Amino acid sequence: MKQKKLKILSPTLREKERYIAFQIISEEPISYSDLENAIWNCGLEFFGEYGISKAWLWLVKNLYDEKKQIGVIRTNSKSVFQAVACLSLISRLGDIRVVPKILKVSGTIKGLKLK
Amino acid sequence: MNFFDFHVHSVFSGGESNIEELASMAKTLGFKGFCFTAYPLDRKEEEILKTEIEKVKKEFGIEIFLGFEARNLKELRNLARRRKEFDVLLVRGGEIELNREACETPEVDILTHPELGRQDSGLNHTLVKLAAKNFTAIEINFREIMFTTKRTRALVLKNIQQNVRIAKKYKVPLIICSGAINHFEMRDPYSLISIGCQLGLELKEAKEAVSKVPQEIIKRISEKRNKNWVMPGVKIIK
Repeated sequence: MKQKKLKILSPTLREKERYIAFQIISEEPISYSDLENAIWNCGLEFFGEYGISKAWLWLVKNLYDEKKQIGVIRTNSKSVFQAVACLSLISRLGDIRVVPKILKVSGTIKGLKLK
Repeated sequence: MNFFDFHVHSVFSGGESNIEELASMAKTLGFKGFCFTAYPLDRKEEEILKTEIEKVKKEFGIEIFLGFEARNLKELRNLARRRKEFDVLLVRGGEIELNREACETPEVDILTHPELGRQDSGLNHTLVKLAAKNFTAIEINFREIMFTTKRTRALVLKNIQQNVRIAKKYKVPLIICSGAINHFEMRDPYSLISIGCQLGLELKEAKEAVSKVPQEIIKRISEKRNKNWVMPGVKIIK
């Protein structure tokens, strides 16, 4: 049975979001799932379960461009630096060495001007 | 804003990347310049390094400074004696005697990772006061955080936070560097700033640690390169 959706919260009650656009500089192409695992692992290692729960961290799947290796992380407005710190602590994905580069931080996906 | 990374190693100092790779990565990440850190070399190797740096500087259009990192007291005293011949003098912290000598010596620009391999933070109020007097910047090393895990990382973070707290109290310049040994370990300025924010720095202070403090050091470098400069606090006026 399909789950009923909740009514959307009013804007004043909603958490204010920030979108962080980043690029992965690497020797070989990186897949979405590898990157997602790496971000979560780094975040959990550095901030712990409690710390990462406050950041509302999420890697937006449909905005990840595997060709250009550009992705978007969604977080709440108070935890932008936490999210960037998580991302910057990724040094390797398996045997592939990576360097994350922050491109832009914005309140809307449109504001990132990815295209 | 101009950003600088003042602690990057290469093949000349136990690293894995050459100067071209480091320069190209620094430019991609948005740095205005970086300090190429080497361990003391003999005169011949030093000349080769200097010519290579000049060549890469022109090729990539990025500022590259030559810095030497002293690993013990003997190296520190030797380097302090010929301070005019290179740009930045760094001291590899960790040992308490070396930390003290680095804070006491006005020729020293940066004391790198004072808490390296220690249970304590490697600095106390006396050393920090000396560092403030001599404008010796204390480094927050990103690599040390990146490549430690679990209990060791917790200890490193605790010690860095302690150093940040004391440094802020006595107004000692703090500098955030990547400490990279290859070009894949370099991080962009925004990442360095965000790590600084996690370690007890305000946003403004973290930004200063990546841009203003390195610029102050560069200003002092040009002063030291002046013919009239004799030693810290002494220069020929007429």
